[in-house]
Amino acid sequence: MDIEFLSSTMVTLLKALPMTLALFALSVSIGCVLALVIVWMRVGGNRYLAGFAKGYIFVFRGSPLLIQMFLVFYGLAQFDFIRNGPLWPLLREPFVCAVLSLALCTAGYSAEIFRGGIRSVPPREIEAARAIGMSGFLLVRRIIAPIALRFALPAYSTEVVLMMKSTSLASLVTVWEVTGVAQRLISHTYRTMEVFLCAAVIYLVLNFIVLQAMALLEHFLSRHLRAAPPAAKA
Amino acid sequence: MTLAVTAVALLIGAVLGAVVAAAKLSGNRVLVFLGSVYTTIFRGVPELLIIYLIYFGGSSAVTAIGQAMGYEGFLGLPSFAAGALAVGIISGSYQAEVFRGAYLAVARGELEAASAIGMSRGLRFRRIIMPQVLRYALPGFGNVWQLSLKDSALISVTGLAELMRTSQVAAGSTRQYFLFFIVGGALYLILTSLSDQVFNRAERRANRSMPSAMGQV
Amino acid sequence: MPEVPRLSVRDIRKSFGAHEVLRGISLEARDGDVISLLGASGSGKSTFLRCINLLEVADSGEVWVDGEQIRMVQKGGKNRPASQKQVDHIRAELGMVFQSFNLWSHMTILQNVIEGPVHVLKRPRAECVEEAHALLKKVGIGDKANAYPAHLSGGQQQRAAIARALAMKPKLMLFDEPTSALDPELVGEVLRVMRALAEEGTTMLVVTHEMGFARNVSNRVAFMREGLVDSMGSPQEMFGAGASPAFRQFIGHFQA
Repeated sequence: MDIEFLSSTMVTLLKALPMTLALFALSVSIGCVLALVIVWMRVGGNRYLAGFAKGYIFVFRGSPLLIQMFLVFYGLAQFDFIRNGPLWPLLREPFVCAVLSLALCTAGYSAEIFRGGIRSVPPREIEAARAIGMSGFLLVRRIIAPIALRFALPAYSTEVVLMMKSTSLASLVTVWEVTGVAQRLISHTYRTMEVFLCAAVIYLVLNFIVLQAMALLEHFLSRHLRAAPPAAKA
Repeated sequence: MTLAVTAVALLIGAVLGAVVAAAKLSGNRVLVFLGSVYTTIFRGVPELLIIYLIYFGGSSAVTAIGQAMGYEGFLGLPSFAAGALAVGIISGSYQAEVFRGAYLAVARGELEAASAIGMSRGLRFRRIIMPQVLRYALPGFGNVWQLSLKDSALISVTGLAELMRTSQVAAGSTRQYFLFFIVGGALYLILTSLSDQVFNRAERRANRSMPSAMGQV
Repeated sequence: MPEVPRLSVRDIRKSFGAHEVLRGISLEARDGDVISLLGASGSGKSTFLRCINLLEVADSGEVWVDGEQIRMVQKGGKNRPASQKQVDHIRAELGMVFQSFNLWSHMTILQNVIEGPVHVLKRPRAECVEEAHALLKKVGIGDKANAYPAHLSGGQQQRAAIARALAMKPKLMLFDEPTSALDPELVGEVLRVMRALAEEGTTMLVVTHEMGFARNVSNRVAFMREGLVDSMGSPQEMFGAGASPAFRQFIGHFQA
């Protein structure tokens, strides 16, 4: 085991960590908000919006993220109105393309996950809320959303971990995050195993942190499911 | 081409998955630990990285073997093999979890009933456990298939001339990126929705003994 | 001046597909009335109750709460409430207690009780909390305020549900088979609470199978059969000599 090589590799890779984290954080947050919009369209009464949402979810879950990313990165540049449009300086950047396509993709998966959560809300509890005079946004905010969130959380944590791994695809559109740097190191030094090990460790630690955070959130939200505390003194 | 890679990968994965699931269920601490390491690494590390590992690492290994046998120069691992192996190892880790979950889902009571009748362990495995495991595992397999289908898109990185790559090359030469990626994407969509239908039908058939109120998980 | 009835329901009809469940029901409840609604399964009792607070929407008919009519319109060939706001406002004045309690499982009992007053009636939280504690004490579970519904027995949950409905200070309480989902030994504690409410003058409309309650606590009994009110009167009339033959046959099932 060449400790020196390992540690220098580690240092090089860690320099790319902020990029990975930025990709992750931005795409997860934008994707989550977008997913909420999509799921709102999907479960709302409007037939056209629901149809659009259904189509969106079908496309973004059914096709590979890589194709979506290439479409955004290479494909958009083809159109004159984009190249001459006001957003071009932004859309030209590989980082922006990567975040955009990651967010669009996770929005599709997350919307479906949220929808499953909403469908799991016991209708009786919704009825009790309506019987008291709740409707519309109040009903969603106080009853539907909190319960749906609790049901959706396990599946959503899996999705978040997948997002962390998906950031590696950004390396294929010239974003220098951890996997991209790793690949460059391998092709220069041919020390595949060591570089892989270092990069793997980084991702495993990141995933571990994410999973722990999610588990904490789940624990916090499920107080009502755990055994009753010992009876309080009279 | 995509289908061939995915199919081979799934076979590799099935074998690996079964082995690892058995290891994790065995109760032997060393085996459980090794099994856990395998599933943790290959589900937790980005697929791209694993493909690099197999391709570059595999090529180095093959080159080293070649040199040991007197051959000078660089031997590349054939991309089909690298791709199938990589996706196979990855899907193996997911399949291990599917097998494990399906095995655990077979009700204890049914196993006890089988033993009480006097079935030998082999017979019990064949007649009671296997069919049920397959039935419970089917939804999981649907997911694994979809996953592997998408992973094989990544094989383009190692120069495989298949669906993805064809789109990319064609797009590059004519500079009509958008159109070709759309077509490529559409083809994938068709593949995945077809697979979806096949799996749904298979699931319904496998579950015909279960009450219809049992919906999707 | 003649008193405005708390509830006035006129000629309610409701069909599910080809099946006509309610075939023209009318009912009036004055302040302080405790009306028991009896009938076999499928007679439409629960559907009728749910048409009052619009958890089901009747195909035709009128519902008046305290002199205010729930405005309806015909939209796309179906009867629909004209204003969601009015529906919410009426629902806030009607308290409903469900067969399956329907407590919000992710909230504590106290949070369940104050949810309506704080978020629908927009009253100050401190006031609502104080009143909630008093209500919980009144129904006998004062010490369970910070417990979650899953920790309570069925009888306790139903009493909590009653407290939740009372917290809205409703003009009329609707009970949809409140004891049907309870183990026999827990039925008594809920009936006791309901009796206490009746004796305080709460206006109540109760769909139930509990003959004891119908006989001893309610001041009017209505018997429903096949979507219509077969007979209605005071308990003495209904359970005595004046009972209709159909009703007599019905209660025959309850006497072992």
